Amino acid sequence: MVILQCGWATLFANLLLPVGILIFSSGFFPYKPLLPGLATFNEIDRNATSPVFDKVIFMVVDALRSDFVYSNESGFLFTQSLIREGAALPFTAHASSPTVTMPRLKAMTTGSVPSFLDVILNIAESDTSSTLAYQDTWLAQLKARGDQLVMYGDDTWLKLFPGMFDRADGTTSFFVSDFIEVDRNVTRHVPHELARSDWSAMIMHYLGLDHIGHKSGPKSPFMASKHQEMDAVVNEIYTAMQQKSHLQSTLFVLCGDHGMNDAGNHGGSSAGETSPALLFISPKLQALGAQLQSPIEQLDDLQYYQTVEQADITPTLAGLLGMPIPLNSLGVFIPEFLDMWDSGAQKLHILGRNAQQLLNTIKATFPNSAFDDDTIASSCASGADSGIEGAQCAWAQVQQLRSSNISADEAFSMIGPALMRFSRVAQDVMSSTASNYDVSRLCLGLMVTAIAVLLVSRTVFHECTRSAHTGVFLVFMIIGYGSMMFASSYVEEEQQFWYWIWSGWMFYLHIRFEASRLSSRSTAGSPPARYAALATLGLAISQRFLRRWNQTGQKFAAEPDIARKFFPGHPAVFWGLVILTYVDAGRHLFKSLPSVALLRLSALVLTALAFMFKVNFAAADSPELLIDSFISRAVGTWPDSFSLVWQARLVFGGLACYVLLAFFIQKRSGNARTPSTLFHEALNLFLMMQSRATNIPLFLVFRVQAMILSAMSLEGIQVTVTTLILQYMTFFAFGGSNAISSVDLSSAYNGIGSYSVILVGVLTFVSNWAGPIWWASMSNLLRPQRDSGVHSPAALSTFHIAASLVSVMAACTALRTHLFIWTVFSPKYLYTIAWATANHVAVNMLGGIGLSYLPARK
Amino acid sequence: MASATPLSAVNPPSSPSQAPAEKPSAPPVNILPSQLAKVYSYVHPVLLLTLCAARFQALVQDTVQELLRDLPWLALLQISYVVLCLPPAGSTQAIEAGSDGEEKKKAAPRSPSSPAVALRPGKPGYRRKQHTGKHDWSGAWAKLMPAFLSLTLTSLLATPILAVLLVLFGAPLTTHNPETVLCAAHMALLSATALVYVHGVDGYVWKEVWGIARPVDPVWGSALGTGLGAWFGAIPIPLDWDRPWQAFPITILVGAYIGYALGSLISRTPLLYGKRIQFVPTETEETEKKTN
Repeated sequence: MVILQCGWATLFANLLLPVGILIFSSGFFPYKPLLPGLATFNEIDRNATSPVFDKVIFMVVDALRSDFVYSNESGFLFTQSLIREGAALPFTAHASSPTVTMPRLKAMTTGSVPSFLDVILNIAESDTSSTLAYQDTWLAQLKARGDQLVMYGDDTWLKLFPGMFDRADGTTSFFVSDFIEVDRNVTRHVPHELARSDWSAMIMHYLGLDHIGHKSGPKSPFMASKHQEMDAVVNEIYTAMQQKSHLQSTLFVLCGDHGMNDAGNHGGSSAGETSPALLFISPKLQALGAQLQSPIEQLDDLQYYQTVEQADITPTLAGLLGMPIPLNSLGVFIPEFLDMWDSGAQKLHILGRNAQQLLNTIKATFPNSAFDDDTIASSCASGADSGIEGAQCAWAQVQQLRSSNISADEAFSMIGPALMRFSRVAQDVMSSTASNYDVSRLCLGLMVTAIAVLLVSRTVFHECTRSAHTGVFLVFMIIGYGSMMFASSYVEEEQQFWYWIWSGWMFYLHIRFEASRLSSRSTAGSPPARYAALATLGLAISQRFLRRWNQTGQKFAAEPDIARKFFPGHPAVFWGLVILTYVDAGRHLFKSLPSVALLRLSALVLTALAFMFKVNFAAADSPELLIDSFISRAVGTWPDSFSLVWQARLVFGGLACYVLLAFFIQKRSGNARTPSTLFHEALNLFLMMQSRATNIPLFLVFRVQAMILSAMSLEGIQVTVTTLILQYMTFFAFGGSNAISSVDLSSAYNGIGSYSVILVGVLTFVSNWAGPIWWASMSNLLRPQRDSGVHSPAALSTFHIAASLVSVMAACTALRTHLFIWTVFSPKYLYTIAWATANHVAVNMLGGIGLSYLPARK
Repeated sequence: MASATPLSAVNPPSSPSQAPAEKPSAPPVNILPSQLAKVYSYVHPVLLLTLCAARFQALVQDTVQELLRDLPWLALLQISYVVLCLPPAGSTQAIEAGSDGEEKKKAAPRSPSSPAVALRPGKPGYRRKQHTGKHDWSGAWAKLMPAFLSLTLTSLLATPILAVLLVLFGAPLTTHNPETVLCAAHMALLSATALVYVHGVDGYVWKEVWGIARPVDPVWGSALGTGLGAWFGAIPIPLDWDRPWQAFPITILVGAYIGYALGSLISRTPLLYGKRIQFVPTETEETEKKTN
């Protein structure tokens, strides 16, 4: 019993961790007051403006970065010709972080800025609390009008808007390697939908371009043909709009939900990720006479044409389609479209309605701020042009102009700019105050976690004084790690810290080791001592490989590494290493089983099955690894009898049997290590199942490291520190980082036929934390048997995780107004939650308890 | 590296249970007692830091060229430092003996009574005579030979070893190779020149160096400081300040220079001089713990 050994203090500390996390999170993740219900027109509004369009075709191309359409390297030739003719108005729509699909769709349909919590819900896709069924969107407005809506493409829309669409065909992005089928499934519906006239909104969401980006980046050779394919769809729709009478007044919107960075990923806030393209297309728009130049030279900041907010789409659509603006919209009507109306009064009315709606949301968020004439003097006197005072002042000026005597002709040119100014200030105010922190809860959560630190600090202090140098190193590491959490670039580049600290720790192990050799030289020259000199060298070389396996972080993410640069170019080396890893895994599993012929044979069969699954999975998920390799020729001859799901289930089932066996044989076998070795080997194969193919050879590296470490016969506390550092280091070596975009979902559905939050969550965690889990199990094997009574690893790792939680919470509290709070610090906080709850409490603590049952009782 | 441990947690080295005969370790080496040596030994680290600061701009602008250009000057400085301030290999015993009766006996109680393993065992007696005598030709020769040897070994052996260590500690392998080698050359000149000059090719001393088990003295302290400084020098690299000096070898090299100067100065304070970092608890300590 790991926890009971080290006492109730550690147990309490571990119970306090989730409590502290819950309290802190409830204060940290902003709650935004949402106005319930749907916006409606009053009598004046209904007749004041006439709708310009009566139908909308909303075509989302996932990750359509602005330069994909506008630059001279684009394949959107027809679309560019529309820009030149003035039939298409191009914009760059700023997508605020988090740049993942679901929050972006929320922004584009409600016009609001989605809360950070939506990111988590984006991963837990089927969560029903994230639906927009009860929120005011332009889709809901159309539906309320009695119109029909149809939807083809990404099924996120179906989850966001249950029951909204009259006809729909959702596609899931199961394999990112699928560039063709996902899009063909959308395009095949286009012709007959264009022929029908019963809908007033058709939504299409193409995923293929995003898949190409994830797979091989924005400069992928597949990009050009995908551009052309999307351009052909635009052509088809535009031609129909020109020819078919029922599409005469249709507005065609082509946009990306977010962009992508140079590695092809998204989720963060770099220029590439936040700059999707946005085009409004209709023959009617030629009346505006905006014949812009196209294509344009490649721009580094990607801000082509005019930059608008993504939220601006909602009020613009509402205005053009003659609908009320959704209640919670923070968008501003794009002024270029004002000239679609002739009279100044109508233009003014559009702007006025937009301003009034923004004013209502401001009033709901700031109930204490008055927006009447009395505030003119105070707010404008302070000279503020931003913040809530700025909004008050701007509104005051609008009121002033409105009350003064202006002729109807001049009204628009006088009041219009004032309304625009107010709307812009209001948008700024509302977007920046999307976060209302509850500071008292933040502090309470911080204090609860700090108590957890104090609870274990006594045990840790004893440990540290007992082994002075290791203790000093541990404290140095924890302080260094904690202070690092306050610097955004160190959070982004956390892997560098672990590689760095690991090099220091290796050096320390080396010194200890050499010192013991020097002192024992005179007494007895032990035979392994000769090889031992190479031990730390072996560790150093293996860590150098780990370091280069997957480049992560921000600064050096695009640099060449082994997994993404070397292996695709050298498939023979890659598959050789993979086979070697599976042979090694099979050999160890074979040896760890009791010597019953049938059992041992089953180990080999299971390993072979696991390998076959990995190859088949790679063939579907990352076919570029199989091109020109000997494996691809072998795969061609395999019978295609099993689905991937069943292959995975078979392997999982076999491994589960071994784990049960491990619990069973421990009662009989004399060797206490056998059951935990068997457990470790079964786990090893399971983790390999859950890892990307390119990461498989890392398990071979782990094996080498574990061999060296066990040869060094470390003390208990050294094993704890070693595995602690290795857990973090290997997390990053597998390609993890502190950015949401680096969560690997490719193995989340292994063996699962349909979506299940818990199973997918567990599999996602395992596939992202494969390295840490491996070392958690290995630490159990490395730990010397005799001093387990003295040393308490649970207290040390609890101390570390609680201290790092405290520092992350403190950083999030102190820097809550920092520019990067939502892009760097909050993701880090989310990752720390995963480290603390899933990795520490579940894997290290509960797993430790479980494992302690294996060898302890004989 | 062992972080703060070498400086903060040094155990008292002398433990009577450890017979010195079991560890025929070379004693700590101090700066020569002459006035010139003492003064220059303080001037030298400051001089190096000044050089480093003066050439910093040029280093940032053209790293490889500048590192190459500074190499001979650094070698010259290091050689003049060791010749002026340190006893050459094999004469260690002479210096220790010559300055007997001074504070060193207290500061360095570890210095064994058994003869140190020297470069050429026959010569210490001869050298001692030479040293007490006038500075003549053979005296200069006795200093220049080890100086030449140290330069050769430093460039031929220490530089590649340090380059490999740099890569193992995270220096890029597929790019920046000239930078890595030149950085290693600078670090080798800083750390190894004095070590080779003082200890020659004494195998046991080098084992102690490899195991970070030397007693603290200015020679070893500055070498360790160079390594530690380089390790800490890696810290600013990941910052997103986008400054040109964050490029690979610059911070590490500057850290090495600062570490060298600090190590050289700190290690001669009486608090640290002659002490050893005790990593493995001695037999007696272990039994004490068990009884507790």
